[in-house]
Amino acid sequence: MEPVIEVEGLSKSYVTYRRGKGLLRRERVTVTAVDDVSLTIGAGEICGMLGPNGAGKSTTIKMLCGALLPSAGTVRVLGYEPFRDRRRYVQEIGAVFGQKSQLVWDIAPIDSFAMNKAIYAVPDAQYRETLDELVTLLDVADKIQVPTRVLSLGERMKCEFIMAMLHRPKVVFLDEPTIGLDVIAKAAIRDFVRGMQARGTTFVLTTHDLEDVERLAEHVVIIGGGTKVFDGTLHDLRRSLGETRIVELTLARPAGGADLAGLGAAGLAVVGRRSELEVTIEADLRSLNPAELLATLSQRLEITDISIRELPMERVITEIYATNGR
Amino acid sequence: MRRYLAAYRVCLRIAVRQATTYRASFVLSSLIALAANLAFPLVTVLIYGSGAGFPGWTADEVLLIQAVFTLSTGLSGMVLGAVVWVTTLRVREGTLEVVLLKPLRPLPFIVLTTVQPESAGVGLGGAVLMGWAASRSVHGLTAAGVLAFLGLFVAGLCVMAGVALIMAATSFRWVGNARLPEIADSVHAFGRHPLRVFPGAVQGAVTFVVPVAMVGFYPASALLGREAAGMWPAAAMCVAFLAGGVWLYHRQIRNYQGVGG
Repeated sequence: MEPVIEVEGLSKSYVTYRRGKGLLRRERVTVTAVDDVSLTIGAGEICGMLGPNGAGKSTTIKMLCGALLPSAGTVRVLGYEPFRDRRRYVQEIGAVFGQKSQLVWDIAPIDSFAMNKAIYAVPDAQYRETLDELVTLLDVADKIQVPTRVLSLGERMKCEFIMAMLHRPKVVFLDEPTIGLDVIAKAAIRDFVRGMQARGTTFVLTTHDLEDVERLAEHVVIIGGGTKVFDGTLHDLRRSLGETRIVELTLARPAGGADLAGLGAAGLAVVGRRSELEVTIEADLRSLNPAELLATLSQRLEITDISIRELPMERVITEIYATNGR
Repeated sequence: MRRYLAAYRVCLRIAVRQATTYRASFVLSSLIALAANLAFPLVTVLIYGSGAGFPGWTADEVLLIQAVFTLSTGLSGMVLGAVVWVTTLRVREGTLEVVLLKPLRPLPFIVLTTVQPESAGVGLGGAVLMGWAASRSVHGLTAAGVLAFLGLFVAGLCVMAGVALIMAATSFRWVGNARLPEIADSVHAFGRHPLRVFPGAVQGAVTFVVPVAMVGFYPASALLGREAAGMWPAAAMCVAFLAGGVWLYHRQIRNYQGVGG
């Protein structure tokens, strides 16, 4: 896949002040928000950028958008150096910030769209065609004529997407685009992103909603404490904590203490008991292959049902956050 | 340039739509702005009515200076009135990204999107007052006088823009200073009096350092046929001031840090 975003040794530091002793004193401190981040994102990918609050995700996105000047390192997106070539560069990209609106509050979204048409010099025919298409895809035909301030958050976010896509950007940056949305609005936004990706648009997405990542991103980057702590596929991410599996058992009779202690001795950890007959254990398949696992379990317990699944994403992320940069 | 003009047309329409969304507020704001700007000339009338005044200047001549000042304030307020506080607000709240995402220079974009139609009332009030004061104080108007007035008037707008931009540029480092627009207004205020009422050092400062005397005093003097020393060098300084303001504003964008995400 041809790379469209290439980042090498990207860093951003800024000076701020910490409350000092006494009423009037303050201490000057230099904060490194992003520290030596390198990554490559291919054309047509959806890259999910994850990280705890204050990890440096948004700062990274802002540097990729050309809004912030990096302190060190290089960024090339679509062949441009974002901050230096900003005006030509932003003509080729779009961005949706979940917490910063591009729509004009007191007027109808259609007027904001007209403003972007003029600003991006979108030809009339292309504007009409793109607008009709986006409005239909996002199902907001009856919403774009009423003032932005009366729209629901979900409707407003759909209009933000239209605003960002009217000039047909090749790369789109999404900073927490589903924040605060209900499940239906989230699903609509995700379908829309998927649809646009199918047409070749590259997306970079920061989010705290792991479902966004699971449903959209093949490529995941995790930032913690300003540094990159993971860069790979969703599959790699799940595997990053080893071959641990969650095994849920339903038993024919309650398991005794000795039975469960025996599981521990075999390298299996009991992590939950919903009832006397329902036990959840964790198994590391590197020390016990699936056949051995089933044999070990059936030797010690009378099982009526079993399900084996991968570690939940939340668990993977929590462990990575806990070990890196928290 | 064509893109900027097209954007300006759309943004002007949007500004009018926004203003008419809250009609009562628009009318009230326009009237308050007009009343606030015409209150000062009223004080001049009262001062001269009580027998006092500025030596060497009649009441009508002083009113002409203040009318030119009011007209300049209205015009610059329409175009640049919101630049200082909008920049301050966007830097403090970390929403300048929205501006930097547009394929325009940030300053014209902010100017385009913050047109203040309610300042039109101030400009109109200034124009009416100027017509009235000029009819009573300007005798033997020449084409050269009109041209000089227009040139100096534009120079006055340049210095107002320059001051606004320098103030706005400081907000990138002096984050959240809500008093910046007031400071800008206070600096401009030196332009609405006959220059000679100030001490020599102040006269020099408001002519050549921060040439706000160009906002009212010098253009009105040209209209009155009262050539003043330093008028044209000060006009050149005004243009330099604007260029400096634009340069500083764009330079300071490099210091934009955003806010925590």
